[in-house]
Amino acid sequence: MCSKVISPNSIIETYETLLSSAATILDEDAGNPSWQPRADFYVYCILASLPWGGSELFEQAPDELERVLVGIQSYISIRRHFDDIAFSVFETDEGNSPNKKDFMEDLWERMQLLSRNGWKVKSVPKPHLSFEAQLVVGKSHRFHPVSCPPPTFTMSSSEILKGQEKHEANLKYPQRLRRLHIFPTNKAENMQPVDRFVVEEYILDVLLFFNGCRKECAFYLVSLPVSFRYEYLMAETIFSQLLLLPNPPFRPIYYTLVIIDLCKALPAAFPSVVVAAVHALFDRISNMDTECRTRLILWFSHHLSNFQFIWPWQEWANVKGLPKWAPQRVFVQEVLEREIRLSYFEKIKQSIEDAAELEGLLPPKAGPNFRYHTDESKESTEGHRISKELVSMVRGRKTTRDIILWVEEQIVPANGTKFAVDVVSQTLLDIGSKSFTHLITVLERYGQIISKLCPDEEMQLLLMDEVSAYWKNSTQMTAIAIDRMMGYRLISNLAIVKWVFSPANVDQFHVSDRPWEILRNTVSKTYNRISDLRKEIQTLRKSIQVAKEASAKAIKELEEAKSILEIVEGQPVSSERPGRLRRLQGFADKAKEEEVTIEESLEAKQALLARGLEEGKELLRLLFKSFVDVLTERLPPVSADGDVPNLRAGDPNVTFPASDPEAATMEIDDENGADNNSDAHAGT
Amino acid sequence: MASLFKDPSKLSVYRDRRFPGTQEEFEAALLASLTVYVGNMSFYTTEEQAYELFSRAGEIKKIIMGLDKNTKTPCGFCFVLYYSREDAEDAVKYISGTMLDDRPIRVDFDWGFEEGRQWGRGRSGGQVRDEYRTDYDPGRGGYGKMVQKELEAQRELVDYGVGFQTNAPPQFDRADRKRGYGDRNDRGDYQRRRSAPDMARRATDSDSKRDANQEPVLTSSTFSFPPLHRHKTFIEYSMVSCTGKESQVSRER
Repeated sequence: MCSKVISPNSIIETYETLLSSAATILDEDAGNPSWQPRADFYVYCILASLPWGGSELFEQAPDELERVLVGIQSYISIRRHFDDIAFSVFETDEGNSPNKKDFMEDLWERMQLLSRNGWKVKSVPKPHLSFEAQLVVGKSHRFHPVSCPPPTFTMSSSEILKGQEKHEANLKYPQRLRRLHIFPTNKAENMQPVDRFVVEEYILDVLLFFNGCRKECAFYLVSLPVSFRYEYLMAETIFSQLLLLPNPPFRPIYYTLVIIDLCKALPAAFPSVVVAAVHALFDRISNMDTECRTRLILWFSHHLSNFQFIWPWQEWANVKGLPKWAPQRVFVQEVLEREIRLSYFEKIKQSIEDAAELEGLLPPKAGPNFRYHTDESKESTEGHRISKELVSMVRGRKTTRDIILWVEEQIVPANGTKFAVDVVSQTLLDIGSKSFTHLITVLERYGQIISKLCPDEEMQLLLMDEVSAYWKNSTQMTAIAIDRMMGYRLISNLAIVKWVFSPANVDQFHVSDRPWEILRNTVSKTYNRISDLRKEIQTLRKSIQVAKEASAKAIKELEEAKSILEIVEGQPVSSERPGRLRRLQGFADKAKEEEVTIEESLEAKQALLARGLEEGKELLRLLFKSFVDVLTERLPPVSADGDVPNLRAGDPNVTFPASDPEAATMEIDDENGADNNSDAHAGT
Repeated sequence: MASLFKDPSKLSVYRDRRFPGTQEEFEAALLASLTVYVGNMSFYTTEEQAYELFSRAGEIKKIIMGLDKNTKTPCGFCFVLYYSREDAEDAVKYISGTMLDDRPIRVDFDWGFEEGRQWGRGRSGGQVRDEYRTDYDPGRGGYGKMVQKELEAQRELVDYGVGFQTNAPPQFDRADRKRGYGDRNDRGDYQRRRSAPDMARRATDSDSKRDANQEPVLTSSTFSFPPLHRHKTFIEYSMVSCTGKESQVSRER
């Protein structure tokens, strides 16, 4: 449009089409307000293009442009303000303006500032300027008119359906950026609001289009066509993606890689920005959404593992003095835990030499905790004897059936099922303790013994207690063992949720990631099973198509061959060679069989999917109920006149339930809890 | 737009010579594969370390460690099997070239694990690359096997046959020997003794290639020693004999 390559009026027309469609969507009668994300997207298209062509439009079609801007103003005023705290990285405002603008309002404000600023943009390159002379006298083109799909109507006004539609709309038109302010204003770069927006768009575009091309991605990120520095902005944008709720467009590990590459591409500038970002986020971690905290922990440990685990830990040594549940302390503890998983105990211990107090936060060094370990000095109990016998049966390659019989006939009658579960599970875990592969081999070969002993939820809960006891020194192996047992269907996902919400584990909620990791794995696996089935069904549907076509073709060939007749003694008789007829019949039969087999598979998978979806629903129901129960026990009640107590502001009227074990534990931690762990580690 | 820079059909520059099929079949296998090959690992990297790293790309189905054919201990590579193709792609995209256990690892699509592919194909039992490399890599047994043999042979010459100077065993806990660590060194000694005369002849040829003054001071303690603060043993894999079999049960999550 600059240099008259495109006529400004056609652009204005496009703007007006988008704008009127957006307004229609918001109309209660003519449209469907649940689809506001789509309307927002249309208006976003207009606003995002203004930095690029606003000044030319202002020059060449000022009145029309003004009309469009007025239209946008009214759109902004009629649209619903988006304020979903569930998607915020930080829970409280921390002094930000109470009427925080949402993305569209903020974007509109930036463009208004741009228009008041004479439409001057620093971050948009103008390569056409050198060709201005030729372009101006060249052909002018019209921008093709766009047509927006008509809004989908809902007949029903049910809240549930409206909610589903809103969800669908959000999935289709997700908000690309949720701005994250990490650095104080005096530290970060100062640029015009519109320039910030343009550079953010550049960064998001590069991350999107160069995903999978490490070198090009890093290259373009560091060489954006702007004349000012933007490392802080780049860090804020990438972290905002890493911490995006509910999910970033790519796996979090992608952003880890990008940050590593940028540190290598800009060794003088970027690493220090990352360090500053980590410190800034660490300072505010108690205010951070817990999912974001977990992402930060996983990112940070992985990041450090690429840089020899070097970090100034002494700056955080003070966290050891905080209570066990303090978010900063838990953060450091969990980062160390993950670092150890990525390397090994001594190495990480060495890396925190300068902050020796933090050694108290390290996980235990020792390995498995086998109750029936044969030790000459200790006495040999019945459990030891049975365990040894089981080990020799396994080594002797006895069949699972034989072992089950032995357990059922000899162990259970004498000692009870609970004891049997105890010894058998601990012994099998011990046999499989050397590595992940050893574990899954044992579970594959002998898992049936466990499932025979633990058919119901009660026994499965017991089983998990045993796993947790055996691997009490390794949260990683606890999580892996439970996950694989669920995979081999020895434990149900519902049982795992029950176990995670049992009192012993609830006590861990604030001081460790251990129960949460297990819960995440369970929910993930349930969901993944469902999506695996969906994929298989899709593949089978395609195969059925192919099989149907093959079958039809074979039948057609057969019919054609059969219809070749000749007259013999006045009667029509098939003249095709009988051998060929037999062959074609064989093909047709086989093709039909194939079709039927695939159809049966498809039916079976569909039944499995239906069951899987039911399981998923049950899981979610149980999860929500478990959270409700756990929170209700601990929250102060709603007041008699229906007022919800304000827990945050330190409301003096808030009285916590009398028998609150949490509060009591927290007080103790303040004094001695912080030191409890260090005694255990003094010897290492 | 990424496809402007990368050829989506050319998934790997490595071509496994033992793949039974045509180039097209090989490429088709890579395109459908759920398995990734991980190379340049340290011998000491454990499955649990790999599990932690690779599970960030998706749910892992199986890990198969590459093992030295003779000692049945890890020899620096492994296969990671995922349940879904996207996860395998993410592993190749995001993990290849980054660090595992302080080493930059290589992650590539693999054409599909089969029983037997977990063994190193080098003559000494490890990977082929460890036969011929000339650098000193403490995470991968020190010098390459050929270089090790030559250096030992050189030592032999100097000793005038005054008893064979065995390498001191690596500093592992004595107790761990009971855990099936195996008679690794004894077997090694036997091999060296047997092939010594051949080595002696070859050593004289290659002597001229080496400038003795530039070689680092070599003592028996510089051969294949783990970093001292590790105090770790190798996990012994001979008990887990069906690492390769894909069972019916484990196809699903």
